[in-house]
Amino acid sequence: MTQKILEVEKLNKVYPNGTHALRGVSFDVNRGEFLVVIGLSGSGKSTLLRCINRLHEPTTGKILFEGNDITNIKGKPLRSLRSRIGMIFQHFNLIPRKTVLTNVLTGTLARTGIVKSIFGIFPDEERKKAMDLIALVGLTGKENRRADNLSGGQQQRVAIARALMQNPSILLADEPVASLDPATSHSVMQYLKKVNEELGVTIICNLHFLSLVRQYATRVIALKDGILIYEGNPSEIDENWFQTIYGEDAVEVTID
Amino acid sequence: MKATQETLQLTSEPKGLAQMKKVMTAYAIDLIHWAYITLVTYKIIYQKIIMDLRNPDFSWNEPVYALAMGALLAIAFFFTKLSLGRAVKGLYDLDENQGVLREPFTILGYFTLFLTFIAGLFISQVSIREFLSEAGLLGAKRIFTALLHPNFGIIEPAIFAAIETIYMAFIATIIALPFAFTLGFFAARNLMNGSPLFFFLYNLTRFFLNMTRSIEPLVWAIIFSVWVGIGPFAGMLALCLHSVSSLAKLYSEQIENISDGPIEAMTATGAHPIQIIWFGVVPQIILPYLSFTIYRWDINVRMATVIGLVGGGGIGTMLMQYQGLAKWNEVGLLAITIAAIVWVMDYSSSKIREAIK
Repeated sequence: MTQKILEVEKLNKVYPNGTHALRGVSFDVNRGEFLVVIGLSGSGKSTLLRCINRLHEPTTGKILFEGNDITNIKGKPLRSLRSRIGMIFQHFNLIPRKTVLTNVLTGTLARTGIVKSIFGIFPDEERKKAMDLIALVGLTGKENRRADNLSGGQQQRVAIARALMQNPSILLADEPVASLDPATSHSVMQYLKKVNEELGVTIICNLHFLSLVRQYATRVIALKDGILIYEGNPSEIDENWFQTIYGEDAVEVTID
Repeated sequence: MKATQETLQLTSEPKGLAQMKKVMTAYAIDLIHWAYITLVTYKIIYQKIIMDLRNPDFSWNEPVYALAMGALLAIAFFFTKLSLGRAVKGLYDLDENQGVLREPFTILGYFTLFLTFIAGLFISQVSIREFLSEAGLLGAKRIFTALLHPNFGIIEPAIFAAIETIYMAFIATIIALPFAFTLGFFAARNLMNGSPLFFFLYNLTRFFLNMTRSIEPLVWAIIFSVWVGIGPFAGMLALCLHSVSSLAKLYSEQIENISDGPIEAMTATGAHPIQIIWFGVVPQIILPYLSFTIYRWDINVRMATVIGLVGGGGIGTMLMQYQGLAKWNEVGLLAITIAAIVWVMDYSSSKIREAIK
């Protein structure tokens, strides 16, 4: 399938403090891709991801999700859009003091009634699905542990299960391994790859390490000062491109 | 692409206006600062210390002249290194490695502090002579002797009054709880900056909380004792009102300090705003809330004693009656009872708060 799932057109984002985070960024994402966004810290990667599910409001430009313009939707349509886009974060953003199972079940909030969710009444099939996803990310037996007592890598896997609970068409991953050690980083990336290949979820992922990019990405875009400066295959990023993206003095650090 | 950039820049506030506002604020700070220095120097240093006047005349011209003098001095020193307003608003180009402790404006700040200290000594009529006078010391001895020989004959009514005080404080805390809980959300800036309506509600709540909190519970107790009659109910209402505003303030500060991560994550799942608060905010605040609430009960017990002094019921009212009759032995027993309650509450509340941490 090469059908477009997401089209971003001339996206601009200016924060109230005057920071110009994105400047005329345009790109398409095809269904089933593992798209990686690279660039220095502050180059606009996080902003870009957060504009896609409208956690941040784009200043100008247009975003089409499955052919529909979602740049200005509000209220219920916006919530239902967000429910179809899963997201995982650098700092996992799990709910402290709640169990792994409860955390995973929060992925269903958009389709659970407000009162029911407050009293923790989730349907049996949702609970079953949550258990299956916890098994998928290799955390069977930890359902009733407090999420904030797990290790970083395990917390990120809970976050992946929570995002999958939404039945997403796209999974946004904002530097998912930036606060993990190298071995754990690979394990989390492997799970993302599995989600991408076995469940067919399109993935858009911000990454720092080029070695990870080459290993997992099917396509790469690079941002510099909010401008999209590269779009292509991960294998085509040579020394020249590397220095254009990361600056003259940058030296590549590998992670094995 | 270039055109979009230029139009975008026009939307942000022009720099000149912001700078102008800063300079105006800095000048206003300087004006008030210099006016204060002028007024204190004239009224205390000149009239009280140099002229040694007991009751110097006051006329409303004096503060007006002081303000005029302040305006002049503020202009005169605005472009020197003596402008506190410019320092506060960050209008000086300072060497960041140097620190500000030796800058002239800091020394001026110390001078103002010193002036205020001197003025404070005179206004509170600090007098070593009266503190150590013979008649005074005799009176103190009489009271302390009586206090140290408490009259245990009134232990029974004293204990009943103490129980009344503790329960009054408990009920005041419990009734205040749901109101404070709800208002806490409305008074939290990070939840309320979404739309102009929410921001208006935020400001309204803050205004209400600040108003009720700035009036002492003692004053509320007087108001309520006229309203519902002297007794524990009036005291309870006063404590309750004050607890609502103090707790709501503490709660809202707790909400402002939570991490945004879980809120962002819940928003990203497509959850309803109420669900975002229940799953993203509440788990982060529940323990500090409990801790604050127990602490508040502890404070309320102590305050209930004071409120009793103006007719709010409980052991404070009893203390007031015996003190009015100069029955110092009975007052002694009540003082011991109060100390015991306060100690027990303080100890148990800190133990409970430690346990739930």
